[in-house]
Amino acid sequence: MGSCDMLEFSPNDHRVPEDERDLTAKNLERLRQTPLPPGDTLRFVFTGDSQRFYDEADDLVASVNQQPGISFFVVAGDISDFGFAKEMRWVNEKLRKLKVPYVTVIGNHDAVGNGREAYKHIFGPLNYSFVYGDTKFILVDTNGREYNFDGHIPNMPWVNQQLGDLQGARRQVVISHVPPQDEDFDPGVRNAYAQSLREARNLVFEMNGHRHSFSIGQPYNDGVWYVNSDAFSERRYMIVTVWGDKQFRIKQIKF
Amino acid sequence: MTQRLLPVVALAATLLAPARAQAQASGPETPTAPAAPAADKPQPWYRPRHVVLQTAGGLGMISAGAGYAYFNDKVETDILLGYVPKKFAGSTLSLASAKFIYSPFTLRLAEKWQLKPLSVGAYFSYTHGTLNDEERGQYTRDYYWWSSDTRYGPLAGGRITYVRPTKANARPRNVSFYYDLSTNDLYLQSYVTNTKGLSLGQILVLGLGLKADF
Repeated sequence: MGSCDMLEFSPNDHRVPEDERDLTAKNLERLRQTPLPPGDTLRFVFTGDSQRFYDEADDLVASVNQQPGISFFVVAGDISDFGFAKEMRWVNEKLRKLKVPYVTVIGNHDAVGNGREAYKHIFGPLNYSFVYGDTKFILVDTNGREYNFDGHIPNMPWVNQQLGDLQGARRQVVISHVPPQDEDFDPGVRNAYAQSLREARNLVFEMNGHRHSFSIGQPYNDGVWYVNSDAFSERRYMIVTVWGDKQFRIKQIKF
Repeated sequence: MTQRLLPVVALAATLLAPARAQAQASGPETPTAPAAPAADKPQPWYRPRHVVLQTAGGLGMISAGAGYAYFNDKVETDILLGYVPKKFAGSTLSLASAKFIYSPFTLRLAEKWQLKPLSVGAYFSYTHGTLNDEERGQYTRDYYWWSSDTRYGPLAGGRITYVRPTKANARPRNVSFYYDLSTNDLYLQSYVTNTKGLSLGQILVLGLGLKADF
């Protein structure tokens, strides 16, 4: 970082060089350049909560770069700890060394102060989706407490519209930061969200971060799998393999 | 809880420096220090000694204010009001800041030029206009352990001064250009918990400014 970079107006200052803007779009463009043939098994790395674990990030990147057959890497929110652009840039400085592109979803810590604006500036939209191979990925802001439970987070009309259209994909995956069974998820939207996931066609699972601890289960006993990631601090990540209508396998890797 | 103490401990060293300066300055040396010629009319104690204009340093795109100098100009307190436009931070921010600066040495470079090669100190700032900084009842107590709006941190820098002729009443009219490198409590917290993953350079923030006696 040069001296111009050091002329910071405030910790909330989110000015960044052009190559550190719109990282989601840039990473998805990279992903498009290595398409997965139809019918091929998809494999990606899933983790969450990089917040202020920079020491661990170097080892994580080194470990993931050893894994064969990985298409991309997902961080399930809390890129930053304090919602500062500088932290998001520090994390990108690490993750840009991955051999594969990476995508993120916003976490509650990324929404503190002016963090939401910094996230939009550096990464991109808070709700977005993409299709890769036979799988549609839907990434959605579920940090209801950061909106003081205003009843609009997650944005259910958007979620329903996304879940209702597979866009040619065979199956779908929803990724967000706060899991619906968590007390930081808007209790007024919880049932609607769980119901939409229950009714979604070929939903493989819903994936979250926030809790810094691995779990996989069906908290609503409704056939929907919820997968929670470890944080960077736990020095573990998951290799997720997806095939068929909604088959999957998850392998935990220590680093 | 222990993680909160880390930046505080790191700050203590820099904060102690001005305190020691005050202790020395109030010692027996003070009366012999060269005093400016007696002014026509003594200035009231509350009248600031200089005005300040600064960019960056975490205190605003632009910040302006005034300050006081004590102990033979070795210790200064500057009060600044700063502004960051919405397009650079997501919302329009106003910042109120205080800087405490100790500059132990003054070198005379030429007849009209002086250098203070080293200043150390600390700052405190409060930001108004932050977007998501806690509504009543939004979080349980201590949900986030830090404040989004209050920052503090150590700073160090230097300045070069152009010595202008004094006013008729013997008040100095010097103009200085200064820089300072600082960091804030949360950047410092990030660094001290990740000394391998982050470098000190990554947490440094540069501020540039002008100071004029009046």
